[in-house]
Amino acid sequence: MKTDVLHAVRLARLDLTLVGRNTTVLFNVMLMPILIAAVYSTFPVGETAGVSGRVFVLTGVPGLMLAFAVFVNLVNAFTSRREELVLKRLRGGQPSAAAVMAGSGLSALVIFLGQVVLLGIWVHRFEGILPANVPLVVLAAVLGVAVFGLIAAAFSGMTPNAELAQVTVLPVLLVMMVAAPVAFPADALPGPLAVVAGLLPVTPIVEMMRTGFLGANHFTGGGEKLTMVEQWVGALPSIGIMLGWIVIGALLARWLFRWEPRHG
Amino acid sequence: MRTPQLADATGAVLDGLDNVIEVGGLRQKYGDFEAVRGISFTVPRGEIFALLGTNGAGKTTTMEVLEGYTPATDGTVRVLGLDPVKQHRELRPRVGIMLQEGGFLGDLTVAETVGLWKGLSEDAGRPVTLSGGTELAGGFTLMGRVRRVDRAIMGALELVGLEKKARVKVKQLSGGQKRRLDLALAVLSGPEVLFLDEPTTGMDPEARRTTWKVVENLRDAGTTVLLTTHYLEEAERLADRLAIMHEGRIHTHGTVDEVVATSGDMITFRLPGVSWTFGDLPTLDGVAPVLTYDGGGTEVGYTLAGTDTATRAHAALRPLLAWADTRGETLGRLAVRRGTLEDVFMRVVGEV
Repeated sequence: MKTDVLHAVRLARLDLTLVGRNTTVLFNVMLMPILIAAVYSTFPVGETAGVSGRVFVLTGVPGLMLAFAVFVNLVNAFTSRREELVLKRLRGGQPSAAAVMAGSGLSALVIFLGQVVLLGIWVHRFEGILPANVPLVVLAAVLGVAVFGLIAAAFSGMTPNAELAQVTVLPVLLVMMVAAPVAFPADALPGPLAVVAGLLPVTPIVEMMRTGFLGANHFTGGGEKLTMVEQWVGALPSIGIMLGWIVIGALLARWLFRWEPRHG
Repeated sequence: MRTPQLADATGAVLDGLDNVIEVGGLRQKYGDFEAVRGISFTVPRGEIFALLGTNGAGKTTTMEVLEGYTPATDGTVRVLGLDPVKQHRELRPRVGIMLQEGGFLGDLTVAETVGLWKGLSEDAGRPVTLSGGTELAGGFTLMGRVRRVDRAIMGALELVGLEKKARVKVKQLSGGQKRRLDLALAVLSGPEVLFLDEPTTGMDPEARRTTWKVVENLRDAGTTVLLTTHYLEEAERLADRLAIMHEGRIHTHGTVDEVVATSGDMITFRLPGVSWTFGDLPTLDGVAPVLTYDGGGTEVGYTLAGTDTATRAHAALRPLLAWADTRGETLGRLAVRRGTLEDVFMRVVGEV
């Protein structure tokens, strides 16, 4: 166990070094999410759920940044490393399968948390808002990285090569962009769609992030102020959904993930 | 020729030695294709065992089962007494693997790659004890910060002759240099068992010799080595014992001498004229000659397969020379040569 942790940390540091050395990856993983946040924040006018539209978007947009910083990043990393037999070599070497996966997840978490911090500074600097519940924000990030890391492992298993990775990630990206309650509250979607959107892993993250930032009810209500305890109680259904998705993601990854290219 | 599979005489019975690798009745299927069709062999501690065969003979598949990449379809496999799949975690730190190709991160330098593996090995409680003659200082250059390269890393690079490439990106190495880096990673943590899959493919002759030396030194220090190759001279030079595989089966096995002995000694000469027939020539050691007519002469060849491998050539020459004296013939271009590994190999591969 201790060995696995040491290995995961070492591999995560390796991942971060490599992100810095590849311009394409650097752009997709580091700049793209920030760019998305910037673009989304210019859309809204007026007020949504008790705050300005811009604040509403900025506090929820980490859910979308996750798509690039974690999901696209890891699908690409897993697929190209499988193609180049790096995964095979690692698995034949000292680290266990769990350590290899955890290492990639950890590096993605560091990148994503860094971006959330940047966003926090941005929201504070220009909107004068300090995050109300940092642990909730961090928990949302950890759960989000876990779920999308596992789904990325599963999707990379369905991706024959690194070029096609750009295509296989599209369905997930589209669903996330449409369903995530970034620009409007989840219940603004028509009936059944709202229920489906609420069950997708991106919605709980957006709502936990937003509540964590603003200290107000963005789970079921329209932005009424909540006490710390109420924030955590309100987050329980979201946490439950995310834990459910971790189980689903783990099963999918177990079923679909491949360490080596197909024979022949 | 088809020798009985070793399954009926498992290693423990064979020599009573501590068998580091035990394979019994291994079968490996991919879908409908059976890549390995029931092979058995054992490798005692401190021995180099070579699996020889053409591409597609099942060598790499056998290696991958032993390395724990895939569970065996059927049969038993033990490395250091452990199941390579179920007890992977225990086995991993004690084993070094050199894959057939690839698996490097091209954006890392050679020293960083070795450093990564050294770190992973240390994390697993197996410190690297190699020590090089020098170390490279870290510092700042126009291109940015360069990291220090310590003596352990340099030691690994010196072992395989890559010390001058320490700061070169892996993607800029030639195929042979990558193989050498691969070897450095495989031997880094002083493994008890070393798996080498075609270790010298793509290497120049000098690098090949260096590799052989490294492997021999490790063997002398007690490491058990299983290697695959399709270079006969590599097997001949390195292997204490070898097995020739073809289409998923082991066709012959033993020490190099034992295997070569099965190929027989060759006696060849030339007689003038093309009127010679079998009846004119003597049988030697119970073997009739093979005659080939060309250019107005007759090429005669005997393959001696007698059981007394050390003396059969000598014993066959006496009656042959007596026959020549009696007939007043001169045996042109008379040659006696021992069979070679190549003869055995070609026969195994040719036989279906």
